[in-house]
Amino acid sequence: MGFHVVKRDKCPVWMRISLYLAAIVLAFLIGALMLLVIGVDPLAYYNKMLTMGTVGNRYAHMAVMNYINEFLPLVLTAVALSLAFKMRFWNIGGEGQFIMGALSASFVALKLGPSLPMPLTLVLMCLLAMLVSGLYGLIAGALKVRFGTNETLMTLMLNYIALYILMFFGDTKADWNFFLQTESTRPVFQSFSDIVSFPLIPIGKNFKLNSCLLLTLIIGVLVYVYIKRTKHGYEINVVGDSTGTAHYAGMKVNWIVLRTVFISAALIGLAAAFKVGTAGVLSTSITNDVGWTGIIVAWLAQLNTGMIFVVSALITVLQFGSTIAASTFAQVDSSFANMLQGIILFLVLAADFFIRFRIVRIKKGGSENG
Amino acid sequence: MKKIIALLLATVMLLALVACTAPEEETDFKVGAIYINSKSDTAGYTYAHHNGITTAMKQLNLDTEKQLFIVDNVPEDKQQVLAAIDTLVGEGVNMIFGISFGYIDAMEEAATKYPDVIFSHATGYKSNDTNFNNYFGRAYQARYLSGIAAGLKSLEIGNNNVGYVAAYGTEYAETASGINGFALGVQAVNPDAQVYVKNLGAWAHEKNEKAFAEALINDFGCGIIAQHCDSAQPQIVAQDKKVYGCGYNSDMTPDAPKAHLTAAIWHWDVYYKTAMQAAMDCESADKFVEKMGTSAYYGGLKENFVDVSPLSENCAANTDKAIEAVRKLIVDGEWDVFSGAKLTIDKDGNVEKANAALVDNKGNVIVAAGGASVEDGVITGTMDYFVEGVTEVK
Repeated sequence: MGFHVVKRDKCPVWMRISLYLAAIVLAFLIGALMLLVIGVDPLAYYNKMLTMGTVGNRYAHMAVMNYINEFLPLVLTAVALSLAFKMRFWNIGGEGQFIMGALSASFVALKLGPSLPMPLTLVLMCLLAMLVSGLYGLIAGALKVRFGTNETLMTLMLNYIALYILMFFGDTKADWNFFLQTESTRPVFQSFSDIVSFPLIPIGKNFKLNSCLLLTLIIGVLVYVYIKRTKHGYEINVVGDSTGTAHYAGMKVNWIVLRTVFISAALIGLAAAFKVGTAGVLSTSITNDVGWTGIIVAWLAQLNTGMIFVVSALITVLQFGSTIAASTFAQVDSSFANMLQGIILFLVLAADFFIRFRIVRIKKGGSENG
Repeated sequence: MKKIIALLLATVMLLALVACTAPEEETDFKVGAIYINSKSDTAGYTYAHHNGITTAMKQLNLDTEKQLFIVDNVPEDKQQVLAAIDTLVGEGVNMIFGISFGYIDAMEEAATKYPDVIFSHATGYKSNDTNFNNYFGRAYQARYLSGIAAGLKSLEIGNNNVGYVAAYGTEYAETASGINGFALGVQAVNPDAQVYVKNLGAWAHEKNEKAFAEALINDFGCGIIAQHCDSAQPQIVAQDKKVYGCGYNSDMTPDAPKAHLTAAIWHWDVYYKTAMQAAMDCESADKFVEKMGTSAYYGGLKENFVDVSPLSENCAANTDKAIEAVRKLIVDGEWDVFSGAKLTIDKDGNVEKANAALVDNKGNVIVAAGGASVEDGVITGTMDYFVEGVTEVK
């Protein structure tokens, strides 16, 4: 007597949707139960969370602007990661690549920003961030191609190197360290928001749209076209399916791997440039964990570019909405919000499992599918 | 059937409405706070502030569930701090406390953006004349008192070596003034005492807090361990090694009952109550700084903002007498720690004041004998030296 996991040949769309919905509903029910235990009205909490506190808030426009600022780095990072993942290159180094991009963009902003015209500074920030992040990603790519190293471990460890470099700049008061303010006796990152910042497009009386949103949408479309409609995209898919096949078809696999890893990491660098160009200052928590969350987003969206935008938008509602809801309920801290997110993600991933596989009982005398 | 459901729904909604319109509070004053760690912490820096805020609110008859809004686990990231402020302002708070130093630029910017909200920043140095102040305390005064306890104990055990596990050394005025205040307290009792400082290079590093305390005892023969760091590890080590110690931030006697003498502590609620009361008394937010009388609150023993925790049984005889006598001098404004006058305290707890220069450990005269106190701005901002008798060791 036992159970067996069997791959599904096909999962009908209605079943797929209902499984996902069931997972989300179940997660919210579990969350509701826990909220009840600590004495919080789940409906009120969820209401606050899902509306992100915009209802009856005369500063609702600020909430929406902050939401977009949190959404942008996540979606662009997830799109970038999906490129590498399609090729089955496990880029776990989003955090590190993001940090290198943020440092490079800040370098441009602080060093060249005061003397160059703003549009040029912004372009240079983006380009240098893309170059440095791309090269940083290439370290793991080159090691894999040349020595067959494990890119999961390499990119993971490079995250910590980048983080400690950032912390070094953030902690070290010295004359050469232009990343820090000179007037503060304690180390504080130098702000460049009044020198250079991505333009905000005024819409209505109070709302200002971050121009990076438009750029990100354009990049999303370009990446979609790149994957679906170009030779490069086709090559990525073939290499992802089987390097053997790719070799046999005469593709230069190593070159394709390096090229794709560079583009993936460079786009993460661009996300970082957008982020610092909006925030106007570095911080040691500049990534806001997008390098990690981006992996989850990419997988939940099954590496589908359009779905990445949808999933990112929803995950950001969860993250941002939870903080806002937690602020109004004394019993709920943001750790609880994180836990709730964890439950939702876990169950959605579980649903994903049941979409791809089914569990059958092993009959006496052998199994159904060998 | 549908009618019944509709009726049920209507009833539920009505009940919900009733639940919403709970009895009116005495005031609709709303407090906002931004924390670096979780509001459900049970120890440490965020806990101390949360405790201070809720204690003050209870004293002022404010409801900590309905009138307090907190965004917690906010890193020192300007964009995230600004977003937290937007959230709190959206909830309609009247004043916002930010407890971490790195919130400084975000709070400065927000004070301009939201002129009808009061911003109050702990440990910072920025402010304006209207709705933005900062607050910190004369911890060095409390440190001096704990130094007296350490000095008397050092005489009792006949060991002149005193250890100090410090987050930082002369890099920050906050740590330097704490170390100096403590050392001067020790020396007032035991002029032969040497204070050995080991520098953590981090505000909290539990593993090194333990290792450094062990090194101070093993390598430098210290009989008393003082500290400026987050955990009670140095006190626990002192107990294990059968020596004594002075804690910080909270009464650490429960952590190390056989070693701990007394700790320099904060009564954050003293400031929070003063600030909230001032904010409620203001007709508009821009009058806050005027109401407080200063844009940089800097309370000490006099305001009961800093203090020493209750003396444990480990303290030497007459410690209480000596501490109370010095406390009176400071509270009455007759003397302060970094001045051109030194106190001499004997074993019986008698205190004598005499003019003497304040000298750093390189022999430079900081304040000439009989001179006035070092300015507050130096103590909070630029003190970058140790007084004589203090040695930083590797």
